[in-house]
Amino acid sequence: MASFLVHSAALVAALAVLPQLVGEFWAYTLALYFLYAIAAMGIGLCWGQAGILPLGQSMFFGLAAYLSGLSLIHFGDSWLLLVLLPASALAPGLLAYGIGVLVFRGRTLTGPFFAMITLALTLLAFQIANSWNDVTGGFNGLKNIPGLPGLSDFTDLYYISASALAVCVLGVAWLRRAPAGVLWRAVAENEQRVRFCGFAVQNVKAVVFGISGVLAGIGGALYAPQQNLVTPQLCGFILSADLVIWAAVGGRATLYGPVVGAVLIGILTADLRDEISWWEVILAAIFIVVVLYFRQGLMGFVEPRFERLWRRAAARDIESPARPGAPDDTGFALDDVHVRVDRVRILEGLDLAVDRPGVYCLIGPNGAGKTSCFNAMTGELPVRSGRIRILGRERTGAAADVLSRIGVGRKFQAPSLFPDLTVAENFNVGLWGGRARLADLVRMRSHRWSSAILREAQARFPFLAEEDRRAGDLSHGQRQILELVMVLIAEPRLILLDEPSAGLSQAESREVVEAIRWVGSRLQACTVIVEHDMTFVREIADRIFVLHQGRLLASGTVAEIQADERVRAVYVGASA
Amino acid sequence: MTGAANGEVFSFAGVTGGYGATTVVRGVHGAIAAGEACCVLGRNGVGKTTLMRLLTGHLLLRSGTVRLAGQPLDGLAPDERHRLGLVYCPQDRPVFDNLSVRDNLTLMGPIDAGRHAPLLAAFPVLEARMAQSSGTLSGGERKLLSFVRGIAEPGRLLLLDEPSEGVQQENVERMAGFLREAKAAGRALLVVEQNLAFARDIADRVIVMDRGEVVLAGSAAEIDEDTLAAHLQV
Amino acid sequence: MDPILTTNILNVVYEVSTLAVVVLGLAVVFGLLNVMNLAHGEFVMIGAYCAFFVQTQDLPFLAAVPLALLVCGFIGLVVERILVRPLYARPFDTLLATWGLSMLLREAVEAIYGRGFRSVATPLTGSVDVLGAGYPAYRLLLTAVSIALVAGLVWWFVQSATGRRIRAVVNNPELAGSVGIPVTALARNTFVFGCCLAALAGVMLAPLLPVNPTLGLDFILKSFFVLVVGGLGSLVGLISGAGVIGGVESVVSAVSDRTWGYSTVLVIAILFLWLRPNGLFPRT
Repeated sequence: MASFLVHSAALVAALAVLPQLVGEFWAYTLALYFLYAIAAMGIGLCWGQAGILPLGQSMFFGLAAYLSGLSLIHFGDSWLLLVLLPASALAPGLLAYGIGVLVFRGRTLTGPFFAMITLALTLLAFQIANSWNDVTGGFNGLKNIPGLPGLSDFTDLYYISASALAVCVLGVAWLRRAPAGVLWRAVAENEQRVRFCGFAVQNVKAVVFGISGVLAGIGGALYAPQQNLVTPQLCGFILSADLVIWAAVGGRATLYGPVVGAVLIGILTADLRDEISWWEVILAAIFIVVVLYFRQGLMGFVEPRFERLWRRAAARDIESPARPGAPDDTGFALDDVHVRVDRVRILEGLDLAVDRPGVYCLIGPNGAGKTSCFNAMTGELPVRSGRIRILGRERTGAAADVLSRIGVGRKFQAPSLFPDLTVAENFNVGLWGGRARLADLVRMRSHRWSSAILREAQARFPFLAEEDRRAGDLSHGQRQILELVMVLIAEPRLILLDEPSAGLSQAESREVVEAIRWVGSRLQACTVIVEHDMTFVREIADRIFVLHQGRLLASGTVAEIQADERVRAVYVGASA
Repeated sequence: MTGAANGEVFSFAGVTGGYGATTVVRGVHGAIAAGEACCVLGRNGVGKTTLMRLLTGHLLLRSGTVRLAGQPLDGLAPDERHRLGLVYCPQDRPVFDNLSVRDNLTLMGPIDAGRHAPLLAAFPVLEARMAQSSGTLSGGERKLLSFVRGIAEPGRLLLLDEPSEGVQQENVERMAGFLREAKAAGRALLVVEQNLAFARDIADRVIVMDRGEVVLAGSAAEIDEDTLAAHLQV
Repeated sequence: MDPILTTNILNVVYEVSTLAVVVLGLAVVFGLLNVMNLAHGEFVMIGAYCAFFVQTQDLPFLAAVPLALLVCGFIGLVVERILVRPLYARPFDTLLATWGLSMLLREAVEAIYGRGFRSVATPLTGSVDVLGAGYPAYRLLLTAVSIALVAGLVWWFVQSATGRRIRAVVNNPELAGSVGIPVTALARNTFVFGCCLAALAGVMLAPLLPVNPTLGLDFILKSFFVLVVGGLGSLVGLISGAGVIGGVESVVSAVSDRTWGYSTVLVIAILFLWLRPNGLFPRT
């Protein structure tokens, strides 16, 4: 918090003295590029934080510019401006959020598709702006837009832009540090894990896109009174492309990168475009080099040094709120479940039922449908026919985030966590899932949440207490355990574990067995484990289910399964 | 033929690797001489297929060496290894299922009467479907097609990953016959198998893997059936 | 038949077949390498400027063909090596890098020739009478050449050993290496081939287009939309995608104006991207 205040004071001071240093002409030029910088920051949030690349931000910039231009022309001297100008800045945000909700709904693979949709939308916006003569003035645009009432000289314009920039930088800085920022970076790294922590990822992404729309909107709304002219080019492809380049070269993942990129490259371009005919070619080459070799951009060399200071884990001194009541029922039942992918039959009438707490193991040869069984239960694979009951209700095809919120936890075969986040941040995403309300996601105090299970886990596995380490730097075994604990701190009633002992040493494997027993009894949960390692299975299983060719082949205790002739035949080969 | 002094066509030592940061195979070693078959046995998920992908260049070795006829294969792409005589029939997706059966066999050269004819005669199910898309074949028939493609190629080393999976018993026996012929012709075989009877039928040497490591290795004659079954059993 | 209707039908056929030539190069590269080359349109643009250059040198129009193939083939070779190959495992970055390349090529041409529109003289003037409608001879020739080119390439793709190997790599890249297909070289050649095809289209279209540095932008967008609508599954998808995009644009433009034609195409593309991202004929 103290560092945030120091940061704010330094930024305000720097922006205040800048005109004295560079003179009136440059202050005026800077004022324009500050507005672009605000829009570029939105790209930084979307692309650098949440991993979604918008190629059409000029659509929002242009929309706000037209709205604010029209407001100024028609209500230039009315108090209504106090409502209309903020509304001009917010409207693009609403539009962006709406687009985000529609595009991200029920879809995971949105990378290039999302980028191309936004590109096509901005081209469409250009066509509308260019040809709707009655409203937009067509090709010539809106001319002679009055300035903001009461402001006259260039210095005033500078201070308006600079104040807007300061507010936006500090707001974005806050969001990046807040739980929301952690969540966005988590989405960029591993969308699936975020979903299995109980977050509706499509909303998380729509919100960040909406915020980027507001940022572009603020820039655009101030552009109209500053430049007194709004043309269709403001919605055009070229401005969109420039914003992306500025964010990339400045450093998309950093706070100041997009600002530095917009101001530096923007001004250099304005200055050099006419003098050096190859300037734009050089700029394109720089962009390619950044994409290939320096993905962090200019500020990537500077900011991370400072970032390490505030990314240190906070002391966990606040008990996290209790999760909203999970259903009392435990267990699940699959009833004649069929799953096909293309023409390949994955599950062929699988029946499987568990109705009381305990540890259950799923075994079977490759392709028997073990992982697919989990995928069908958690909505990752579409169920063609049959029904799935989970924790007392039919939930065939329910989405992973919904299941997570009612108490289903899943660990994947290869450790699925957030390697670029710290151990603390990994835990936090697990803790916030299902517990954090919207307000908690913008409060810094949510970083200090703790829970009994987390404390017990850290006592059991001391490496988990070193919370400042990057999760990706842990050993494979440690990452398996970290993911397991992330699942467990959500206090699930049904725990699905896919090969928790894969790649573990014998000693680590034994620790995992103990941890699973401990949590199972402590949470009174049903634990279902897919496992190949029979030593592990013999140690832990209350009951074994053998799957073969998408059906249940046998079930029983360890001894019963070992004595089963059909199981022998499946494992050793038909002729043995 | 620098490495042929001790008769070894193919040797590998300290082979370690896996996916991403996960190590699946650790320090696996083995050697095969001309005219010899080595079977890799082990339960599901112990790293047999990963071993094959490391040996064929589809996965990068984290450490270890692989030599074909004495020449190190480090850093060579799969197609370069193929040119040196390493033929591979993978376990999963063994054929190009958008091409016809004939196109699968003639991708790199025409049907050879000497090499293909006896194979196609032995497996009439393929002969009858030459013009059909191999996507219409059953799993076992695809394995059969992959087997025919591999064994008809002239390379001195043949790597087969579960060739008998899903194949009818009579055809499995015919496969074993062709593999014995290949051995007699001086080829070296490395075969991953789950079918113990088939493995015993062809193997001169056996490697048993567990948790990514070799837990038992030796000549097939010395290791008795019960010991092997114990390693494969639930 | 009504001459105006005939002219419109011929326009649709012309639009669809020339679009198909451009998309074919893009689609083969995407199918084999999983690389969406956003600079594909700039190769069309460079092809068109080659035709313009040849004209300024008083050389015959056809001399532009070898020149364009040489220039674009060389650029394609370099680009594949330093830009596409290192990014195979990072498709998103390839998209950005080729997008940067498209800017670079566009700006480079602009630095040489300026922003202004250039015109290339039509090598074949006059018109031909088709069912009572007079239709420009060069357009007609171009339509025929495009259809022949697409049909010939498709026939080659189905019949030749190289075509089979390309399909094999698309289907199962891992197995392809193991049966001895030199995957890296095949990928390089395919990329260069796709660039050359775009360049050829650029030469052919140059006399009918206002030649300017941003000409490629239109082509890459339309080509991308064709793939989005048609899906990446098959040739049928490609042709039907080209049919929908090229057909809609020329029909709507004919009954209304070009703005409406273009906007309709954008709306169709957005709807497909959003609701049916795998297109009409998805790749299985």
